[in-house]
Amino acid sequence: MNRDTFLPPTSQTSNSAAAAGRAYQPTQAITYLCANCAAPNTLSRSDPVRCRECGHRVLYKQRTRRMVQFEAR
Amino acid sequence: MPSKKQEVEVSEAVEIADQEMVDTEALEEEIPVIDSNKIQILPGASEDGTAASFRILQEDHTLGNALRYIIMKNPEVEFCGYSIPHPSEAAMNLRIQTYGEITAVQALEKGLDDLVDLCNVIESEFKEAISKKDYETSQPIDN
Amino acid sequence: MAYTKPRNRVGIEHDRVTDVSSTDFPGYYPGEDHSWSIEKFKNHFKVHIEYLNELNSEFDLIGVDPSIANAFRRIMISEIPTLAIEYVYIENNTSIIQDEVLAHRLGLIPLKANPDYMHWFKKDDPEFEPTDYDTLVLHLSAKCTVNPNAPEGTTDPKMLYNNAHVYARDIVYEPQGHQTEWYPDGVTAANPDILIAKLRPGQEIDLSMHCILGIGQDHAKFSPVATASYRLLPTIDIIGEPITGELASKFKSCFPKGVVAINSKGEAVVKDARKDTVSREVLRHPEFEGRVKLGRQRDHFIYCVESTGAIPPDQIFLKSVQLLKKKCEILRKFNLSA
Repeated sequence: MNRDTFLPPTSQTSNSAAAAGRAYQPTQAITYLCANCAAPNTLSRSDPVRCRECGHRVLYKQRTRRMVQFEAR
Repeated sequence: MPSKKQEVEVSEAVEIADQEMVDTEALEEEIPVIDSNKIQILPGASEDGTAASFRILQEDHTLGNALRYIIMKNPEVEFCGYSIPHPSEAAMNLRIQTYGEITAVQALEKGLDDLVDLCNVIESEFKEAISKKDYETSQPIDN
Repeated sequence: MAYTKPRNRVGIEHDRVTDVSSTDFPGYYPGEDHSWSIEKFKNHFKVHIEYLNELNSEFDLIGVDPSIANAFRRIMISEIPTLAIEYVYIENNTSIIQDEVLAHRLGLIPLKANPDYMHWFKKDDPEFEPTDYDTLVLHLSAKCTVNPNAPEGTTDPKMLYNNAHVYARDIVYEPQGHQTEWYPDGVTAANPDILIAKLRPGQEIDLSMHCILGIGQDHAKFSPVATASYRLLPTIDIIGEPITGELASKFKSCFPKGVVAINSKGEAVVKDARKDTVSREVLRHPEFEGRVKLGRQRDHFIYCVESTGAIPPDQIFLKSVQLLKKKCEILRKFNLSA
């Protein structure tokens, strides 16, 4: 099947979006943290990867808010 | 890998509160469920029971060698030896052969009783040595 | 005068050890009775305590067989239950140390908590819910921030930031139900200065932990001892003519300090063989050939027990004796004659 003709509505893999040449629509704004000053930065697709506070070019994705369980072994 | 197990809440255990008081000797009280196959006589024991091999589960050299020693101290015993047939099986085999006056089971039972007596002596002697309080409390320094 | 080595002696020569196995069994020596006798054992057995404190100890068991001595050592290391952190629930960890590594580090922290009050947490039962009888709850939360009052020009992270280092002393115990009676002084790490993680501003650790009973056989974190080992008492026998003069001081220098002394007659005498490391240096010198016998006493065990802090060393040893006894009693309950 041709990729361009069918796209499952839930499929948002970057692979298919990129292959279809379509813009990725974030459903919600994603906040990143600056690696230098830890300031939260909300970026959209076209924004340069740069901290608004200090101009640092490394931003981290935030950690999951879910509790994670480990065995101490 | 993190498991998917839900977070466990510690219950306040109010319902246990009015139960029998109070577990200072939790260790003594709590008798673990003992496997009914903990000890078995292996096939091939002699008719008259003077020679037999036992398979003891969940035991290792700790009990094996101590038991071997104390059973060998019995003059009625011709041979006693133990082995751990495979390191990934938690089992210990014990072989007893007697000169014929007692059975292997009797030799084992005497061995277990003697080992208990031995432990009692060591325990009381050690407690006595502690209670005398005439020891140093710090490591002696060599000059 | 020919030298006869006592029966309970292991011989140590320059390149070998001899007479390693016990011989005190019935039938070994013709006409001698070596059968087990509790009375005989009671008369021969001695305990000597060299030193003992909250964490360390050295004590001697004299008159036992290696098989018994080894059983106690093995039980002390691997079968005495203690409490240790087993489950870590990480709410947040933005430090550079990974969640699983952090959990592992936390597990290895020795806890100052008497394990006698607790029951077993039944791990293999998926329905088993933790209660105050089997689970201790600990929390650890730390957030690193910039210290605005840091002195000018300092490069020390501890000055520049607040909570730059997270230590075992930052772990907080949360008593559950009856635990206030059992642990009136709370539960802390045995060593408060253990470094758990380093943080930088903006990084945060927030987690809770469940501690359960376990044994060293399952995981080393449950072992109540840092070391539990024994050695046999060294022996040094000067045979034949006394060693005197120049040779005596050379003889003395072959041993660690305090082992050999020179008496008023100028003869070398063994002062404290216990201090000997059995380096066998003396056997390298031809002038001492045939004049000294090194050995070890096969039924004299010098134990060295170092606690991790949860249980004092004397209690650890007593528990090992009780545990061996219990093993026998459990087996004794089975009726094999049927």
